[in-house]
Amino acid sequence: MISVSDLSKRFGAKVAVDHLAFDVRAGVVTGFLGPNGSGKSTTMRCMLALDRPESGVALFDGKMYRELRQPLREVGALLDAGYVHPGRSGRNHLRWLAASNGIARGRVDEMLEMVGLGSVAAARLRSYSLGMRQRLGLAGVLLGDPHTIILDEPANGLDPEGIRWIRDVLTHLARQGRTVLVSSHQLSEMALMAEDLVVIGQGRLIEQSTVGDFVDRYADRWVRVQSPNAAALVAPITAAGGVVASVTTSTLDVRGLDCVSIGEMAAQRQVVLHELSPQTGSLEDAFLKATATAQEYRSASMAEPPASMTEPTASMTEPPAPSGAGQ
Amino acid sequence: MINLLHAEWIKLRTVTMNWVLGIIAGAFPLAVTLLTAYFNGDSSEFGTSDLASVLGGTTVVCALLCGVIAAASITSEFGFGTIRPTFAATPQRLRVVVAKGAVVVLATTALATVVQLVGWFAGSAIARGRGATIDLAEVPTAVPAMVGAVVLTALMSLAGYGFGLITRSTPVAVSILIVWPLIAEGLVGGLLGLATDNDDIPRWMPFQAGIRLALVELVDDGPSRLMAGGYFGAVALLLVALGAWAVNRRDA
Repeated sequence: MISVSDLSKRFGAKVAVDHLAFDVRAGVVTGFLGPNGSGKSTTMRCMLALDRPESGVALFDGKMYRELRQPLREVGALLDAGYVHPGRSGRNHLRWLAASNGIARGRVDEMLEMVGLGSVAAARLRSYSLGMRQRLGLAGVLLGDPHTIILDEPANGLDPEGIRWIRDVLTHLARQGRTVLVSSHQLSEMALMAEDLVVIGQGRLIEQSTVGDFVDRYADRWVRVQSPNAAALVAPITAAGGVVASVTTSTLDVRGLDCVSIGEMAAQRQVVLHELSPQTGSLEDAFLKATATAQEYRSASMAEPPASMTEPTASMTEPPAPSGAGQ
Repeated sequence: MINLLHAEWIKLRTVTMNWVLGIIAGAFPLAVTLLTAYFNGDSSEFGTSDLASVLGGTTVVCALLCGVIAAASITSEFGFGTIRPTFAATPQRLRVVVAKGAVVVLATTALATVVQLVGWFAGSAIARGRGATIDLAEVPTAVPAMVGAVVLTALMSLAGYGFGLITRSTPVAVSILIVWPLIAEGLVGGLLGLATDNDDIPRWMPFQAGIRLALVELVDDGPSRLMAGGYFGAVALLLVALGAWAVNRRDA
């Protein structure tokens, strides 16, 4: 288990991490989310005693990182796959890591085979792609068979097979009872992989919960109605307090009413329904909503959308529903 | 600590640049000494003192290059970001600083020892073969100069390592290491000597004092070999101590 309490870190006048506190439980993958510049990487560096926090502490099963005599056997961390000497081979990179913590040399080749780099173990790291470096980094994380795993953007540079592989590895490790904390911008991946979330913005904790609770709390909910006679339902739905967004002539997205009441309305009017399903926004929708006020770097199109994007669509009574798939 | 020394040794020996610099550092004094012994060995004026002086003098270049290796051993860690996995693997940073320093100083000292032994025995064999008389008993300061050359290499490595710890930048550390002993000390020492009308000041410039370790004949009234070495050693240790303090205090 990881326990972070009252962690603060400044860089000059800028507060990177602001009295941050959260816990990461064992046995599940915990996603560490936040917009760019929200302090995720700084938090991880402070947890690993690489940066000096102004206040606060991170405990790994009750111990501070600096107190660990052979940390690779207890905490495996990958903050950046680019932290390698390009002139060194992949095998030698892992060998010095292993030697520093008294890990048997045989474990190096074992891990290289496990991450699929056995055939290029002797090649210099300058010839490795980013994806290969990510795999090498993961091999380094697993060298000491640690109970706690911390990864910063581990899927960066990986191809789809690699992304799926890392997801499978991390969920497998979590099922073994390990504590796994992973930061990622790939929210769709996180939705598949993580059970718990720690969401931060501008260095402060926004939310700590399960993925389900987070999406329930922040993501939009609506009911999708498909009918060849959808227009016949608009008036009764509106009269009952529902808000209708017409996606197409045969499909309605309704907010403010549940499936039961819409279904009863349709039955009373003998309107045939092809679909009546509750919809929930994606993790991405929930994340964007939760961190809307904590975005430090916003793209111009988000801050000031072009005029063509701000004009309402004539057929809609409300802006379109979030793009995420329903659950 | 044994694990850390092992890890740092793997790091040092698995970077090609270290081998290239090490080979140049070893080959330069050997080549100059052996060629001098060959071409001047038939001269009646060439003797033990000359051979020891050539070997000691060229070892200064070896020492400077060893300082570069030592500086780069730590600055490359900051440059490539490997200092982070290093400190993540061993959060007790001072232990890393000590282990890395010990490994690089031991390696460069071993190199300098080999250079002195090979340079002396091969050089004297060549010179004798050309007709020169080489006898260590003739020049009592020859062995101290050769030992001093080894110590100078160790201390220069220590100083380079200290510059590397403080600056964290290979170009900056190497520039200081080259410019300070070869240019800055001469200028500063000369100007201070002129201003104070004291000829001793240049000899007490740290690197100039260190170089006295490898001199066969100390003809002036400057510090003795032992004193000069102790002084330069203290400066080198101070640089490492300052660097270690900075590394321990800063974010990695």
